[in-house]
Amino acid sequence: MILEARKISKSYGSLEVLKNVTLECHKGRIYGLIGANGTGKTTLFRILLGLIKADGGSIKINSQGIKPIGGIIEKPALYGYLSAYGNLKVFAQIQGLNLTKELYGKSMHQVGLSTNRTDAVKNYSLGMKQRLGLAIALLNNPDCIVLDEPFSGLDPMGIIALHELIKTLSSQNQITIIISSHIVSELTDLCETLYVLNEGEIIKKGPSAELLNENVTTYKIVGNNLEMSEVLQSINAVFSNNSAFVSPETISISKILQKLIEEGQEVTACIPQTDLKALFGGRKI
Amino acid sequence: MISLIRSEIYKIRKQSKTLYALAAILIIEGFVIVSAYYQGTGIIDLLLANLKDSFEFKGNLLNGNLIIYLILNSLWFHIPLILMIIISGFLTSEYKDRTLETVMLQPVSKLNFILSKYVVSIIFTLLIVLLLAVSTFLVSYWIFGKGDLVVYLDGLNFFESEEAFYRLIYAFISGANSMIFFSVVSLTLAVILKDATKTWIVSAIFLICSNLLLKIDFQNEFLNELFFSKLTDSWQYFFYYKIPYSTIYFKNLMLFGYTLITMIIGIIIFKRRDIQV
Repeated sequence: MILEARKISKSYGSLEVLKNVTLECHKGRIYGLIGANGTGKTTLFRILLGLIKADGGSIKINSQGIKPIGGIIEKPALYGYLSAYGNLKVFAQIQGLNLTKELYGKSMHQVGLSTNRTDAVKNYSLGMKQRLGLAIALLNNPDCIVLDEPFSGLDPMGIIALHELIKTLSSQNQITIIISSHIVSELTDLCETLYVLNEGEIIKKGPSAELLNENVTTYKIVGNNLEMSEVLQSINAVFSNNSAFVSPETISISKILQKLIEEGQEVTACIPQTDLKALFGGRKI
Repeated sequence: MISLIRSEIYKIRKQSKTLYALAAILIIEGFVIVSAYYQGTGIIDLLLANLKDSFEFKGNLLNGNLIIYLILNSLWFHIPLILMIIISGFLTSEYKDRTLETVMLQPVSKLNFILSKYVVSIIFTLLIVLLLAVSTFLVSYWIFGKGDLVVYLDGLNFFESEEAFYRLIYAFISGANSMIFFSVVSLTLAVILKDATKTWIVSAIFLICSNLLLKIDFQNEFLNELFFSKLTDSWQYFFYYKIPYSTIYFKNLMLFGYTLITMIIGIIIFKRRDIQV
């Protein structure tokens, strides 16, 4: 185990932000922390990164490196008046690293940024800033990276690119990555294990697919002329544009799809819809 | 620690606001030189009105040395104010841009980080005073030439040009200690308040109060000797006929003590606080 946080608690005055939160992370894996806004995700990450002190609990990071853990909290905070090189130089220098041309090239290449740009970072897009922030977090080869809402504000292409980058860092560099988000779809195919945080407590944890499947109550079926389908009408589907939303109770989704094909309907997609209410507000573990 | 100081210097060099600050200081200096010229003419006429009837004066008393002395007198409000704004900005901008968080996410100790901020603030202050001194001497001597210095401190004191030169240099050195005190105070205020505007306002109030309290007689020997505001004018003592070195040393040491205490308070607060911007 690379990171072990046990019974972390934190209060601001009478407000309990975190209540006995426990996280266990293994080397080279990707973990997701999901929860609605204001449930304590950022506070937990700040504690893991040593920015704020917990009121109780313990954190153990099994690393012999100079920098056991790195990360980005919310949006990457960089020196806007400096270039990418200037930023990397400052952050490398303060941790005793000499930013050689090779290291600069390697760091930029690792996150998919070009070394050709010499203008100030304030001109960069959010996606580029995220990448540069990640390059800074990766200086001195941390064993664990914490990314707080890394997809927030990124366009779809930016999200896909960041997904790929995170997967590569985890599989090739064996870095443990913990990502938080309040949007389930962002973490579904990225994280192996999910922790669900609600009102400062971990209420669920487990393999992502399993956890999400448990909380899928509705499916979005996409196709042409679906409103003509007798099968869908019989199960009280809700129609919208070229889609139908079904919440199967007595019949499984595979049976519904099979019947639709038999009926001659052209189904182009079937997307499970996670019931966030059920996911975020389920029984405590 | 050295690498932290080097990175702080690199950041200061790359910020355009540093250039603005240097420009502001030089512009103020220019204005002060012009006003010192007119002020100097009036002062000379007033001081020597009676003496001119009894004594014959040779040479021009409105010279570079008098201008430098007048500049010294008027700079101890403007320059600390600008220094306090710039130096508090070294930290408040890190809070505002959240770069403090990114710094603290690296393997850097809070103690070393804030200590490096204080060290760089002191270096910056000394460089500004040096720039000020060099430019003041150059411009004043270039425009007004050298000559004997006449000042009024508990009576008229006359100093020959060479003596005036070293007294003015010592005054700048002693004044640098006062500047360092105000710079360190502004950085400590930045640690406490975090916000730039709040820090500027409180720094300005501190400076104004400090200048007002300097003139007030507390009717108490202890306060008159040891209260911080009474320690920031030791540079003035170099213009007494007989320089009271022991008083100057004492005042400077006491002020340095206040600087250290202010710095320690800032360090303790910064270390104990969570990094939450």
